[in-house]
Amino acid sequence: MKSLEGDGYRAAYDRERGCVFLEGSLRLNGLTEYAPISALLDEALEGCDQLELNLTRLEFLNSSGIATLSKFVINARNRKTCILTIRGSNAVPWQGKSLNNLKRLMPSLDLVLE
Amino acid sequence: MAQESHADTATAPDTHPAKRSLTVRQAAVTLLIVVVLGLVAGAVELYSDWRSMRGEIRANTERTLRLVQGSAAEAAFQFNDALATQVVDGLFAYPEMRRVVLRDNFDGVIATRDRSDEQPDAGALVSSLFGDITDYRVPLTYEAVRGNVTEVGSLEVELAADVIAASFMQRGGVILTVGLVKALVISALVVLIFYFMITRPLLALHRAITRIDPTRPGEWPRPALPGHERDELGQIVGSLDALMQAFQRGLHQRDQARDENTRLGAELDVSRRIQEILLPSQAELDAIEGLEIATYMEPASEVGGDYYDVLAHAGGVRIGIGDVTGHGLESGVVMLMTQSAVRTMLTSEETDIVRVMEVLNSTIYNNVQRMGCGKNLTLALLDYHPTAEGAAARGRLRVSGQHESVIVARASGAIEVIDTDELGFPIGLVEQMSEFVAEIVLDLDTDDIVVLYTDGITEAADPDDRLYGLERLVEVVTAHRRDSAEALKCAIVDDVKRHIGTQKLYDDLTLVILRQK
Repeated sequence: MKSLEGDGYRAAYDRERGCVFLEGSLRLNGLTEYAPISALLDEALEGCDQLELNLTRLEFLNSSGIATLSKFVINARNRKTCILTIRGSNAVPWQGKSLNNLKRLMPSLDLVLE
Repeated sequence: MAQESHADTATAPDTHPAKRSLTVRQAAVTLLIVVVLGLVAGAVELYSDWRSMRGEIRANTERTLRLVQGSAAEAAFQFNDALATQVVDGLFAYPEMRRVVLRDNFDGVIATRDRSDEQPDAGALVSSLFGDITDYRVPLTYEAVRGNVTEVGSLEVELAADVIAASFMQRGGVILTVGLVKALVISALVVLIFYFMITRPLLALHRAITRIDPTRPGEWPRPALPGHERDELGQIVGSLDALMQAFQRGLHQRDQARDENTRLGAELDVSRRIQEILLPSQAELDAIEGLEIATYMEPASEVGGDYYDVLAHAGGVRIGIGDVTGHGLESGVVMLMTQSAVRTMLTSEETDIVRVMEVLNSTIYNNVQRMGCGKNLTLALLDYHPTAEGAAARGRLRVSGQHESVIVARASGAIEVIDTDELGFPIGLVEQMSEFVAEIVLDLDTDDIVVLYTDGITEAADPDDRLYGLERLVEVVTAHRRDSAEALKCAIVDDVKRHIGTQKLYDDLTLVILRQK
């Protein structure tokens, strides 16, 4: 298990379960501050054939975070080697429209809204 | 102001009356104490002197009288005037004798000497000190036949109180003078020591304090006070220095906070200005043919990045509405770039909406990458064209781009809420998005209304954090659909404001109402 923690958020990659968790509120300033999280996601994607991104406990994600996730999804789409599942929650306001846009970026993406 | 008070403090000690000076007061108190103590000691000394002197005078006089007692008795018994005169003169030779009288036993004077005329009566002080020991009387007896002692007369002397008191008074004068001189010398010494040990360093400290620059207390001229490094004065200077440094740090923090506030305030002003500077004027809107247009924009306290524009062109009108993510200057800049890009595309007469969106997205995406901020925006572009005479509808509206829903209130009473999620993609979020762009076409009849808004309206929170919502917006539009565009706009704004109540305005409010003429 590899994890990153910061002010109000936690990002963890569970290699055995093939799952990345993002939790809390992510309000990092600009794309450069998201670089460690971006690197963690890319690492999880590397050589993996099935990956789940669990966002059910991610209560807030700012625009730089959504841009980071979008890049990650495009990256996964271009690789074509990994089946990607994104698990979100209908109870979290920001996720509805934004996760649907991710699904549009990668139609093969399995989007599960709980 | 600070300079004035500085000067006042500096000159204040000069205007103080001398009696308020520490040195003068200290000198006066010392002098008083030493004088009182000197007087008490002198008085005790004098009293003791007075007592022993009285005893001495009495004893001396009595001894002298006893010495001449025999000769005096013989002179009285024999009526020997020569002997009597010799005895009286002998006694009178003592300067302190004022009067000497030798009497027989019939009280007749045999011989007498008197200086009463030359020596006036003693003063009251001398009389009270020595008046009671000036008179002596010795009875004279003679034993003519053994065993038969008879009284033959008496010898009386009176001492001159002035003379016997003279040495005492002289001593008293010396004691008093010495006491006063001693008091003055001690006072002067104490004052000098006090001045050098305390007053002078205190004055140095005072001078340093008066020279403190209120704007730079940390640079105050800390006095050296040699020899006082470890004593109470040194401690005062140390504490004062710590206080000044703390003040300096406080001022520094205050200045930093003020600078930061000024910067943020300036940034907010700039953001607000950016947002409003390129909005279409009422005259522009009024000049548009075919559509009655009303617009409203209110920036939040922390300016968001709402965008709307109405651009008339030869073929019709292009209307844009969007919302840049986040708040502040960067959002404002992205919004400004969007406005500029939308107008550029219009000027270049690009009519393919997919191409328009593609170029807009590419422009914003690449600039946002430079900015490194990950901003993006929802953007709906609407192209309005009046239709030719005789057509079924008066106007045609093409809608494209992902933004909030578009509300259409038909003159017939029907309400259409058009979701735009599938008509585009956030601008600037990804490099390529043209595949997601689609458009729908709406025919507008007379009095059909189109309502465009940003999420500042639907997500406006009331004091209990309940959101205004799309449903309530649709209700207000339905209720006021027969009103003019301006009246409908006012009705919506009033209702949203009523909802917000005392709650803070979290996001910009933007509203664009189109009404087919």
